[in-house]
Amino acid sequence: MAGNSNEKRPLLAYGSIALAVVLFAIGSYIGLFVAPPEHFMGEVQRIMYVHVPTAWVALVTLLWAFVSALGFLFLRKWKWDSRMEASIEVGVLLSFLLCMQGSIWAKPTWGVWWDWDPRLTTTAVMLFAFIGILALRRFVEDPVRRATWSAVATIVAFADVPIVYFSVKWWNSLHQVQSTPQTVDSPMITPLRINAFAMLFLMMGLVGLRTRLAARRLENELAPPLPERETETRAIAAGGEA
Amino acid sequence: MTGGIIIGGWEYVIAAYAITFTVLGGYTATLLARTRKSKRGQDQEPSR
Repeated sequence: MAGNSNEKRPLLAYGSIALAVVLFAIGSYIGLFVAPPEHFMGEVQRIMYVHVPTAWVALVTLLWAFVSALGFLFLRKWKWDSRMEASIEVGVLLSFLLCMQGSIWAKPTWGVWWDWDPRLTTTAVMLFAFIGILALRRFVEDPVRRATWSAVATIVAFADVPIVYFSVKWWNSLHQVQSTPQTVDSPMITPLRINAFAMLFLMMGLVGLRTRLAARRLENELAPPLPERETETRAIAAGGEA
Repeated sequence: MTGGIIIGGWEYVIAAYAITFTVLGGYTATLLARTRKSKRGQDQEPSR
């Protein structure tokens, strides 16, 4: 359990979020106003500077959820359950954003908001699978069952994550292949890298804060009842007033 | 669209950036508020 570390101020998480804000401001300014427009997609290509970092970091976050699930199942430490809950929630948020940004980019370039091509379909499956795990965690009240079931479900759902990544290579996809420094022109690399680090720091900060909240809730669930609470419960059971 | 080249499209760029930073900012704000609330609750809770 988090214990003493929970009582300290989450300075590292705050610092990480503050650094992300600064990097986002710089990266987005360069991406929107300094980097040149792409030859075919024109200004619309500027969506890449938020879409690609969101994609990279969403997959990294869900990888952390997978590691945390394994951590809980093999090490049986509650901190891994808190980490898993936090990383799934942030991963779902980023995957949702990823679909929204992609949809906005698809309309002017493909002519449609959505297409059931392999990359988009596997991403949608990934998003709904992890939303399902969050729902499962809400419905199961017993902490041990909740942690075990959601860890197993996370490991199963994670099988889709590498499929999302490699889908553009394995199948004929409308979606372009992964953007890397080798496939992106040099003036466009700088804002992409800055925003990727910004997204990474933001994710680390958010997962850090959310982990503390999950740990705090677990602490309350697993703690023995307070003597006052016990007295109150006995009084209520006896029909008297506490 | 002209000859396979997209002309304009700033409205899509603005929409993508606006949605991204609104969602991320909103989630960050709720997490910070929940963290503060949790800390207050911890401070007020009697020691076990």
